[in-house]
Amino acid sequence: MTVCSTAFLTLGRAQAKALGNPALPIAVIAHPFGLRKRNEVRELAEQCVRDIVKLVSEGKA
Amino acid sequence: MSSSRVEQGRSAEERAALFEAPDDSDAINRLYRERRWGDGLPIVPPTVERVGRMLAHTRRPPGDIVARVAPGFGAATVERIAINSVMAGCDPEALPAVIAAIEAADAAQFNLQGIQATTNSVAVWVIINGPAARQLGVNGTFNCLGQGTWANATIGRAVRLVLQNCGGALPGEMDRATHGQPGKYTFCCTENEEANPWEPLHVERGFPRDSSTATVVGAEGTMNMNTHAKDAPQLLRAFAETLQHPPSNEYTHGGEPWLILSPEHAEILKSAGLTKAEVKRQLWELSKMPARRMTDKDLMRVHDSRSKELGTIGPDTLLPISPRPEDIWIVVAGGPGTHSVYVPCFGNSRAVTREIADKK
Repeated sequence: MTVCSTAFLTLGRAQAKALGNPALPIAVIAHPFGLRKRNEVRELAEQCVRDIVKLVSEGKA
Repeated sequence: MSSSRVEQGRSAEERAALFEAPDDSDAINRLYRERRWGDGLPIVPPTVERVGRMLAHTRRPPGDIVARVAPGFGAATVERIAINSVMAGCDPEALPAVIAAIEAADAAQFNLQGIQATTNSVAVWVIINGPAARQLGVNGTFNCLGQGTWANATIGRAVRLVLQNCGGALPGEMDRATHGQPGKYTFCCTENEEANPWEPLHVERGFPRDSSTATVVGAEGTMNMNTHAKDAPQLLRAFAETLQHPPSNEYTHGGEPWLILSPEHAEILKSAGLTKAEVKRQLWELSKMPARRMTDKDLMRVHDSRSKELGTIGPDTLLPISPRPEDIWIVVAGGPGTHSVYVPCFGNSRAVTREIADKK
């Protein structure tokens, strides 16, 4: 699996397909996050960890 | 003739598909526009006949894969490069130069994946050196980065079309450039080898003087430097101060800056007894930039990227633009005038040169 922001999701999906793995699970973080406060970034990171765990435990990764 | 046979490469197949199209350039261009096979300008329809004339200028078989072009990793076969070169309007004799440029762009150190998919404005600048530059009519004098020279315009355009059509780097899809730049349409020139007081670029990069080469550079754009300085130290200081700019991928990552010196500026430096290596060393020293000029966020990026190279980085650290003086590259090009050009580069990329080897 991989992790990317929404701005790069189109690229990620297209490249996964080009490399022969169109079903690659991708955990997505809302873009942009560079201007967010530290506690907001932590929330995003914690949500992303939950997404990764879900994707892995569903056997998609 | 009521119809022409037109070829277009497809990523799922090694062999270009053939389809019938009306013998009408407006209709063909509408088709290319709808399918996003072009760069926004009208194309020359790549008929079987035109592609065949192009392929006659290489000994390589049409199915040879020259590169797997990131980020989509479509096969850039000789045939597909020929198709895109026809579309760009190249003279058939230019095909080996386009092939060499694509080979160069595929080298790992060029980081085509990063260059094609980044939000950065980076374009691929192609420099042709050696006898092929003269034979193909590539311009290295007046307005060599501007309009008006067929070879410059079409070779650079062909490289872009291959990168887009074989690599899948469509704007807004896998090409994530925030703005891009005009150089993404075409960006190609040669050196003014006759006016160059030092060895030409390809010789400096290890090729025989009588060989022909294509060098690719990940170029963020061009910054004109107009200075009437006639004194080498002042000239170098003016150049060095131009290189320094805080929101720079080169200072952030340790780059590979390129300078296009006008013949007049090059002659001032040569007349002062400076070798090209010495010019690079002085520029590298003079262009060191206090880290405090970066924003806090950018300084954190510098730290992440360059602490192995530079150790602890604080506000008083003097950041060199590149890891070593020899990472600065100098070409001599252009006509008369007191203008030289700084070409800031992508940072995480190194230029690559390949010989144009398969001329007939």
